Amino acid sequence: MAHVVTPLDQPSNYKDSQARVDRSRQAELLSKSTTLYIGNLSFYTTEEQIYEMFSKCANTEDGGGIKRVIMGLDRNTRTPCGFCFVEYYTHAEALACMRFVSGTKLDERIIRCDLDLGYKEGRQFGRGKSGGQVRDEHRQDYDPGRGGWGAQAQRNEIERRREVEERYADAQDGPGAVAGGGGDWKDQGGAQTENKLKRGRSPDDEGENGRLGQRTRMEDDMDNNRM
Amino acid sequence: MSYRHGGYRRRYRDDYDDRRREVVETPEEKLKTAIIKFGEVDAQEELPRLEKQIREHQPLNIPNISEAFRISVTEQPYKIPFYTALLRNLYNTPDPAQSDAPVLGRLILEDFWKGFQGYLDKVAWRETRLCIQFFAHLTVAGLISPESMTSLLQSFVAVLDEFGVSHGRAKKAGLSAGEGLFIAGSVLKAHSPSSVNDMITAIHTYSESTTNAKWLVALNSRVLDSLLTALNTLNEGDFSGITDCLPQPYLRDGAADLEIAKYDLPSVLVPPEIIEVEGITSETGSEAQIKKEEWPEYYFRVFTSEVSPDPNTPAGYIIRSALIDTIDIFEINRKECARLLLEYPKWNLPGTFKPKPGSTVEHEPFPGKDWQLESTPGRQTIIGAYLVLPEPSQKSIYYISLITELCKLSPSTIGPAVGKSIRKLYACLSESLDVEVARRFAEWFAVHMSNFGFQWVWKEWVPDLSLAVQHPKRAFIRRVVEFEIRLAYHDRILKTLPPQMQDPEGFVIPEQAPGPAFEYEDPSHPHHEAAQSVLNLFRGRANAEDVIAQLDTLKSQLEGSDDGHTNLDSLVRSIAVQSLLNIGSRSFSHLLNGLERYLALLRNLASSGVSSAGGYGNTEAKNDILTAAASFWKHNRQMVGIVFDKLMQYQIVDPTDVIGWTFLNGSFVGQLREIEKPLNLSAFEWDLLRAALDKANGRVVIARRKIATLRKEDDDARAKAKASQEMEVDGDAKPADEQHEVENPALETALKASESLVREQKAALSRTLEGFISCLAPSAGGLNPNPHSRGVIGEEAWQNRDAWGRDDWNAWETWGWYRQFVRAVSYAPYLRKYTNTLETVSFARFEGVNDPAADLMKKVWHIATGQE
Repeated sequence: MAHVVTPLDQPSNYKDSQARVDRSRQAELLSKSTTLYIGNLSFYTTEEQIYEMFSKCANTEDGGGIKRVIMGLDRNTRTPCGFCFVEYYTHAEALACMRFVSGTKLDERIIRCDLDLGYKEGRQFGRGKSGGQVRDEHRQDYDPGRGGWGAQAQRNEIERRREVEERYADAQDGPGAVAGGGGDWKDQGGAQTENKLKRGRSPDDEGENGRLGQRTRMEDDMDNNRM
Repeated sequence: MSYRHGGYRRRYRDDYDDRRREVVETPEEKLKTAIIKFGEVDAQEELPRLEKQIREHQPLNIPNISEAFRISVTEQPYKIPFYTALLRNLYNTPDPAQSDAPVLGRLILEDFWKGFQGYLDKVAWRETRLCIQFFAHLTVAGLISPESMTSLLQSFVAVLDEFGVSHGRAKKAGLSAGEGLFIAGSVLKAHSPSSVNDMITAIHTYSESTTNAKWLVALNSRVLDSLLTALNTLNEGDFSGITDCLPQPYLRDGAADLEIAKYDLPSVLVPPEIIEVEGITSETGSEAQIKKEEWPEYYFRVFTSEVSPDPNTPAGYIIRSALIDTIDIFEINRKECARLLLEYPKWNLPGTFKPKPGSTVEHEPFPGKDWQLESTPGRQTIIGAYLVLPEPSQKSIYYISLITELCKLSPSTIGPAVGKSIRKLYACLSESLDVEVARRFAEWFAVHMSNFGFQWVWKEWVPDLSLAVQHPKRAFIRRVVEFEIRLAYHDRILKTLPPQMQDPEGFVIPEQAPGPAFEYEDPSHPHHEAAQSVLNLFRGRANAEDVIAQLDTLKSQLEGSDDGHTNLDSLVRSIAVQSLLNIGSRSFSHLLNGLERYLALLRNLASSGVSSAGGYGNTEAKNDILTAAASFWKHNRQMVGIVFDKLMQYQIVDPTDVIGWTFLNGSFVGQLREIEKPLNLSAFEWDLLRAALDKANGRVVIARRKIATLRKEDDDARAKAKASQEMEVDGDAKPADEQHEVENPALETALKASESLVREQKAALSRTLEGFISCLAPSAGGLNPNPHSRGVIGEEAWQNRDAWGRDDWNAWETWGWYRQFVRAVSYAPYLRKYTNTLETVSFARFEGVNDPAADLMKKVWHIATGQE
């Protein structure tokens, strides 16, 4: 259906500048991606606001839903620095966001969505010299939603700012710092007795079966989206 | 979109990768593009130029040209009359010397037909229908023979008589035939009046046979009925009225004089629907893929015919149909879609719409038309399409974003139009607006306001605060404010409200931001100390074992302290869950981290009493976990939904547990918390139910896909093995059967999983039905029966609604959600599938009982499951 106009769900020129995979592999990953990079967020926007907006593209009845939200944090201050990742269970949901949410407002800012290769440890932190996003290093304008010129606090945002500053003070890095969000349904009937008291593994650590399921789902979504 | 091109980006040269470079078009592609873009400036002007370009293009490539026509017709339906004119012109033979050469237009048409056949084979309904529109115009232009056009339409009418035809299929076939008749009626009727009349009668008969659905859906218009009414109007005047509703540019040069052999469309059979089988067989306990669109669609008309065309009139139907197709086709790009919708008038007859304010073009209003464009695309059609029952064809958020784009493109006209439609819909809330329509209205309102600075004149609704607290208008105001807060934050929304609404007595917005409510926070709480001890373990990231040990200790201490608490297990569960949620209350991610770290603990809590290691899944324990979560987040319903979702995702609780809990406890969550109130289901509880049902259904969908993939892998592997065996010509190879017997263990596991999930799905649906019965047709000894569930049904009761109190409105709303449950496209197919079991379990108790509520429940059920 794309002969007359360009679909909005095409990958843009956004990319992870530190990704170490070649272009064709990147294109392949993006064509199945369930993760979105969300940019131009206000520093004050919460995960719950993001969840509310992005749940409008979720297809729970089709086995989808929001798997997790990973808030982008300033490396030094551990406060949100204006981006995040939203991970769904299906590719179709990510595409729907590209079409219907990208370019609309959240918390009174126009946000942008881009298909992402997938969250990797460490990507939750800003990469600018100051700890935040690179774009805020070079920004010439005054943007109250993103810390003003720099450290200038907005008087009417003081309360929200306080909350924001405290919220992620405990943010960790390293493996396991970010929750997985829950994987596919698994039969627990037989496994109950060996319900080991160890930390639940994230679905990414699952064995062959888990991965197979993931792949299957993606392929099916691809099929669903073929027009 | 300037932010995409902010200066900082220029630094990254290699961001501009291959996709950015100009694509070089081949001459073939250029011609195709020229055809697709035909008429964007002025179709009449461009026609001779484009005709020349097509004729002069060398080498002649008919498939390329006809593909361009197919794309144009199926993706730009508003231009179909103009493509008819183009094809008509390509029938001319400009050079008499070559008069024996094949006619270019004819070659294109013949090739075009192959494409149509392709759409039909794939049962691609929209493309098929739009091609029929094109053929109908071509018939009027004299290029297609009326007898072959008639028999094409008859094949589609025949679908209506198929045994057991679904509503969806019948509707689409009926629309295809009806629209063909609509456009070509004048020529077809001149040819054979009886066949035209017969076809209209057949569509009418079908439409009559489906009126039962009004028990499920109370909206005012059905698409097929609109078409019929419009068709009848046209038919009365022998279709002479068509010239007032459609441009027919191909008639301008006197097409009737064309001396050519008319094309006879080959005869067709409409193939059956493709039911996606994807390895779904009875052995998995599952059946065919759920079929959507089992219901006649009902849509909502917001405006009167003075400002916007009535879709029951011929001209109005054409406009609505063109706009709906545009909305569906351009779902891939809402910005372009908005632009195209605003440009629509240029494809219709001049004088149909009012000119834009300030336009210098001389405007001669067409008698009876002169509609406001912004009323049509801005309001009527999109809002109508969005509010279609039972479910819109695209995601809700698409329609919402599309309206946003329209407002951005034309703020001065669309903006006020949107405001008017909001007021109109709001007024309908007291006139039994369907609960699902009201829910979508609230969702749209909140997202729309979020895109436009939350500017709404709330003041005008202040007088409605005197209505009953559960009146649909007040419920709507409350929901919208709640949704707005979720998208923004409490103080931001509070500021937008007038003082009467800020007042907590108004029950519009809570005084405080919707934070957590840790029951044991207060040091004077008798279990404060106990909770602190658990909380500290969580804070220190203690092992799950240590927490469980601490909970055991706690329980024995509490047993000793003899404070009269009747259920210590429940208390300990509550302390544990609330403390864990308290740790995870900072953000969604904190919640996930907390849950994931203590999955073992949660499973332990859910499976039994705190200490004993019993079997999995103790219903009472799971109920306690849900209650603790709901009570912790009682001021924040969004978080209740999120926590429940993840508890299901991590398989701490099952969808059925959430459903059971919701019917018993849901209405205790939130601002209107009152214990011992009658059972009812409002929009919030419906959201919880829906999430649980969707989860159960979604798991079945995933399991089936997994099976399908494994089967396919298996088959492929076998085929490969077989092929390689056949290669080994030396008779050493084992018999093929031997390998077949080796079942794939992964497949076996997947089949078993699917069985469990189907069982769970069935249980979830059954629990839902049971829940509705306990609300709507409660037995005498039921728990907190709502005495009003029987009092609000029937016309007489409705007329008396001004006297209704909160429980009456609650009961009324619950009835609405029951209807939505049985008709929703996501559930109805499953309900049909399990209908026998569900009925036996749930309706048997009504045997021989004289209860109007039970009768209505059964009636609605039987219609929804296709038994009536």
